Amino acid sequence: MPANRHLTTTVPLVLSFLLIPLTIAMAFLWTGEDADQGLSQKIFYFHVPIALTSYVAFGFGAVCAAMYLWKRTEAWDMRSYVGIHSGTIFGTLVLITGPIWAKASWGVWWNWGDRQLNVFLILFLYYCAYFMLRFSLDDGERRRAASAIFALLGIGLIPMSFLAVRIAQTLIHPTVFTAGGASMPNSFLLTFVVGLAGMLSLMVLLISVELRGKRTAARVLQLQRVQRGEDA
Amino acid sequence: MIGAALAIARVKLVLEIRRREVIFAMLLFIAATIVIVHFALSGDTGAGNRAAAGMLWAAIVFTAVLGLLRTFAAEHEGGVLDALLLAPIDRAAIWLGTALAQFGFLVVIELVAVPVWWALFFQGDGPSVGTVVLALLLADIGIALVGTLSAALALGARTRDVLLPVLVLPLLIPVILGGVTATYGAFGEDVGGLRPLGFLALYDLVFIALAWGTSEHLLGD
Repeated sequence: MPANRHLTTTVPLVLSFLLIPLTIAMAFLWTGEDADQGLSQKIFYFHVPIALTSYVAFGFGAVCAAMYLWKRTEAWDMRSYVGIHSGTIFGTLVLITGPIWAKASWGVWWNWGDRQLNVFLILFLYYCAYFMLRFSLDDGERRRAASAIFALLGIGLIPMSFLAVRIAQTLIHPTVFTAGGASMPNSFLLTFVVGLAGMLSLMVLLISVELRGKRTAARVLQLQRVQRGEDA
Repeated sequence: MIGAALAIARVKLVLEIRRREVIFAMLLFIAATIVIVHFALSGDTGAGNRAAAGMLWAAIVFTAVLGLLRTFAAEHEGGVLDALLLAPIDRAAIWLGTALAQFGFLVVIELVAVPVWWALFFQGDGPSVGTVVLALLLADIGIALVGTLSAALALGARTRDVLLPVLVLPLLIPVILGGVTATYGAFGEDVGGLRPLGFLALYDLVFIALAWGTSEHLLGD
């Protein structure tokens, strides 16, 4: 399906290669310096989109997990796995960029009072466990079902972690978005949106490339079996 | 379905009373954990209510994980699980019965461990009993639920004993946060009234719903 392939690979490839450099250019050349944080605020255009993208990828993984439990086809299991895999990659980036920002604006590498960082840490531990679970079960129906259930439990864990950290803590993350909308100049908001679009395209690209790789690998294995005469 | 779950829970409790495999180990483990954390904090826990509260909750969660390592173990070894899966009962009953037994184990060890904790760290004026007991009960439901679920997921894994704590502990971080905050409230700190307890109840409901929805796929074929 070449049309489909263009939609999932070529389009996000072009978009992410355009939008991510554009974000860098906009962040440094167009937006003004933040009155409070100065230059260090620029990381906002990368850190926050990466974090949101990571949530989207985990969400995609969970939706595909639910689809797997419903349809029971291997394709959904593979999508779920790849979604969580790319969520974990973006999650690693969040845990790298977060402390850089924290060091620059608060003077410490890690702030236990920060809600988002703490929630992310919980989720990161959780999704790393997903890989341990998946790879210590033998390939088959059971492994796929167990992975899918674990991925779905994450849907419960995300809001629960937010609530728990909120209940347990008083210190507040710099609230850039409030209930009344974004409290920042339009140039900041636009750069942020471009950054988010760029990261989301990169995520779609990573997911579709990895999926294609996995499908090809599975197909090669199958052909090898046929060649050896094990499969009809 | 409730009848089947209760029957399974009863079998597990009767087996435990006869064999005494799990509860004594859990009791010794929780005592050792409390002592270790106390000394790890250079014996400062007597000075701070918060440290004492944290120590109790950390010890409970680690002890619960120890107990979970034996869930489904007897079934798995004796092939009972296959028989249970063949039995004309709801899959959810197997999981629910096991979780009930796990809840029972937790309550039993807390009946011993919490008074000891109290006696060791507070002279007379400890936290308010009602709040602590309620928080523990709500947390036990969540720990038993999520723990049994994870134990079922790890069933048949090559490295089950190593895997299980890694699966359960991140899932239980919200319970720790809620329980510790509720305990601060029991010491008279302002934690927003009943919010931590409400949170623990909500956590239980969310994971009951998720476990129920997936129970059909949980134990596999």
